[in-house]
Order: sequence, then C-alpha cells, then structure tokens
Amino acid sequence: MLIELLTKRYPGMRAWLTQRLSALVMAIYSVFAVARFFIVQPDNYEAWVDFFQPLWWRIATLLFWTSLTIHAWLGIRDVFKDYVPNPSVRDVLQKVLVVSLCSYLIWAAWLLLA
Amino acid sequence: MQNSQHKNSQRAQLRPGQISRPKNLNLFTIKLPINALVSILHRATGCALFLILPVILLLLQFSLSSAQHFETVVTILHSPFIKLMLLGLAWVFFHHFFAGIRHLAMDVHWMTTLMKARYTSKVVLVLGAIATLLLAIRLWL
Repeated sequence: MLIELLTKRYPGMRAWLTQRLSALVMAIYSVFAVARFFIVQPDNYEAWVDFFQPLWWRIATLLFWTSLTIHAWLGIRDVFKDYVPNPSVRDVLQKVLVVSLCSYLIWAAWLLLA
Repeated sequence: MQNSQHKNSQRAQLRPGQISRPKNLNLFTIKLPINALVSILHRATGCALFLILPVILLLLQFSLSSAQHFETVVTILHSPFIKLMLLGLAWVFFHHFFAGIRHLAMDVHWMTTLMKARYTSKVVLVLGAIATLLLAIRLWL
C-alpha cells in the first residue's frame, strides 16, 4: 500500500514523505547538536575547531545540511505555489531557490570536508 | 468547453457588484484560531530560517578560519543588539522545531481532534517560550 502510494503515479506523496523524513533527520541532529554544544562548551578557538574535528560529527552535520536542502526546497516551493500565482514569476523564483540551496550545500560540504 | 464558457459568462454577470459579498481581504479583520496561528507561524518561521542560512554559513566559516576571526565573531555575537536578534532567531528555530513535531504527530494520527489540536497548539507556543526564556537566562545571566 505504501509502496503503491510512492510510485510515480503519486509524486505528491513522495514529496510529502521526503519532507517528513528530512524533518526527522534534522530534529534528531538538532537535539544532539544542542546537547553536545552544552556538554563540550567550546569557549575558545581551539575548542571550537575541535568541536568540528571528529569525522563522524562532520558527516552527521553534512547529512543534516543535505536534509535541510531537500526540506527547504520542498517547503519554500510550496510557499511559492501558494502565494505566487504568475507561473513565469514562480518559475524564476524556483530557479533562484534551487541555485541558492545548491550553492549553500556545496559551501557547507566544502566547509566541513576541506 | 461549453461548461467553462458557461462559468465565464456567470462570472461576468456577477461582476458589477450585483451582490455585495464580504471579501475579507483585510487581514486584520480575520481572527486566527490558535491552531491556525501555530500553523502559519510554522510556515513563516520556515521562510525566515531559509533566509538566514547564508548568514549562518558565513559565521561558521569565519569563526573556524582563525583564532583572530573567532574572537571577532564572539565580539559581534556579544553586542546587546545582536544578542537580542540571536534570541529572536532562537525563538524562530524553537517554534519551527516544536510546531514541526506537532505536525509529525498529527501525520501519524495523534492529537487530531479539534480540542486536542487546540491544546497541542498551546503546548507548542508554551514550549517555544520556555526554550527561548532558558536561552535568555543563559545569555544574560
């Protein structure tokens, strides 16, 4: 039943589920990030760099940012669909959205992995 | 085809204000129920969070680049006005977080009756306020 709903006949269902799954990933990461921040308490430069040093943390952060990219794309796209009735204006806005989100993701990946 | 023509002619007939209907386009005449308020705030905070993304990346990059830059970021974040902005942004995040969890709960058919939805809306607003208050205490005391 779920598999059937997620096939190409119902693209809206897939977007819906993707929106929720990415939300879950971000919620879990956020709780961990806040907890880790208050446990480690990085209050100087060395501690702040160390905070982002572990590979597992950088991968988790990148996973968070990837989820954020997908989540924001679906969310803002829905906002445009609701409030921008002119299709050509909406098209331009959606392209701006995709370009900015992709560049943020590349920026974040470069920050975390370089 | 015929149907759409019929609809169009109907709309044209109504146009010069034969029946005066309330349009309710003035947003200040609409009183939002609490669950609608939480819902629209979820959307508004989501947009705000999207708009702040480049600033977050910029601050992260700058603070990680060198000890000197780190100190600069710390000084900026400690100025009273920026601290207040930070608290506002924190509320935006907390609201989106808690309201999002509420939506997820409703997606799995939990707390979906009107009374329960109103109750969880209040819970979301209170949790957002408490989290913001805790952060304010942490930032200023």
